[in-house]
Amino acid sequence: MFTLSLVTPEKKLVTGAEIEEVFVPAYRGELNILPGHAPLMTTLSTGILRYRFKGESELHPVAISWGYCQVSPVGVNILAETAERPEEIDLARVNAARAKAAEKLALSDLNEEDLAKYQGKVERARIREEVASISKTTR
Amino acid sequence: MPSLKDIRIRIDSTKNTQAITRAMKLVSAAKLRRAQHQIVNLRPYAHTILSVIADIAATHRVEHPLLAELAENPKRVLVVVLASDRGLCGAFNTNINRFAERWYRENKAVYEKIDFIFLGRRAIDHFRKRGVEPVSAVQSLARDVSYGLAAGIASKIMDAYSSGEYDEVKLIYNEFKSAIQQNVVAETMLPVNVESSSLTKGEGGFPPDMIFEPAPEEMIDSLLRKHFAVQMYRAMSESVAAEHGARMTSMENATKNAGELIRTLTLTYNKLRQAAITTELIEITSGAEALKG
Repeated sequence: MFTLSLVTPEKKLVTGAEIEEVFVPAYRGELNILPGHAPLMTTLSTGILRYRFKGESELHPVAISWGYCQVSPVGVNILAETAERPEEIDLARVNAARAKAAEKLALSDLNEEDLAKYQGKVERARIREEVASISKTTR
Repeated sequence: MPSLKDIRIRIDSTKNTQAITRAMKLVSAAKLRRAQHQIVNLRPYAHTILSVIADIAATHRVEHPLLAELAENPKRVLVVVLASDRGLCGAFNTNINRFAERWYRENKAVYEKIDFIFLGRRAIDHFRKRGVEPVSAVQSLARDVSYGLAAGIASKIMDAYSSGEYDEVKLIYNEFKSAIQQNVVAETMLPVNVESSSLTKGEGGFPPDMIFEPAPEEMIDSLLRKHFAVQMYRAMSESVAAEHGARMTSMENATKNAGELIRTLTLTYNKLRQAAITTELIEITSGAEALKG
């Protein structure tokens, strides 16, 4: 029994579903977590999380931004700041957000904090677009 | 004595009002359901974060400003008053404002400095009239509160707290008990008190060979910040649910009262109408009698 829970403050995406494996964008690059993984506690960066339900071959992608991943012998617990399935992503909004952030980045007088903020926005937009496109190609 | 026409106009206008209050009640009921759903959805997240913090704190003895013990006698306190933007929700905002005012009066002597943050137009306006200016205020709560909004407010508060400006942060808000019951409570939000939190300590925390990436000392900072933001979001969601609950109840009462008013007005109307008819009949018959004579 190896389960996955994926929750954000606003919704529960997966709760205690049995899985075969999960890929998470961890602190030091992507991690593939299989049953029997050593206990681990790590932060997650913006990226694509993919999981495979037990007995299925398809990987489900989810765009997440920033969170925690706790691996215990019984399963994986993920707390993400935001998490979106491909069908929830609105590409028009993603592109608008990216354009806005890119515009800000083009300005030269940004302090470090703002720079990081807008770069983060561009990155999140890129990830969302990628997740949305994954689902299109597999369907 | 009002004329028949006056009464008819009043009946019609009361009926219109009743239609509005009934609609408002239905809208609030729908919004309440959504807000309750939001609270339920948040629980697993909030609970997991807290248990992770408690586990790290228990196994690693980390030091952190947000986690510090409450000072023996805190001197400077930041009070966050959470109300709503809109009225027509019974005593919801009045209760909050009155509670905050009383709290202020009682504690003025205890603390050296009391600063306020008001969330919601009703609190801002109320205190402005009384000459209390907040250090910060947010008044766009009209739409559903999002996690982003709560996190923004939380981070502002945390920065002020971390910089040593305050010893304690309190939050005054309406706790959601049920659709018809709200309790005004004052909660100490900072410093975070891990021990008092209702946590099942039985699970025993982490296995000793737990891998941390990055190190727990680094992680706890962001975890605590997240925890505080989540608590803020929870309080705001509860307050929204309580607001809709209060509005639902008060609109239901209003609808009922309107019905009562319509009933008595209709009664008076019919009585008057019958009296008029009777008078007319008497006039006709007595006229006819007079002609006969």
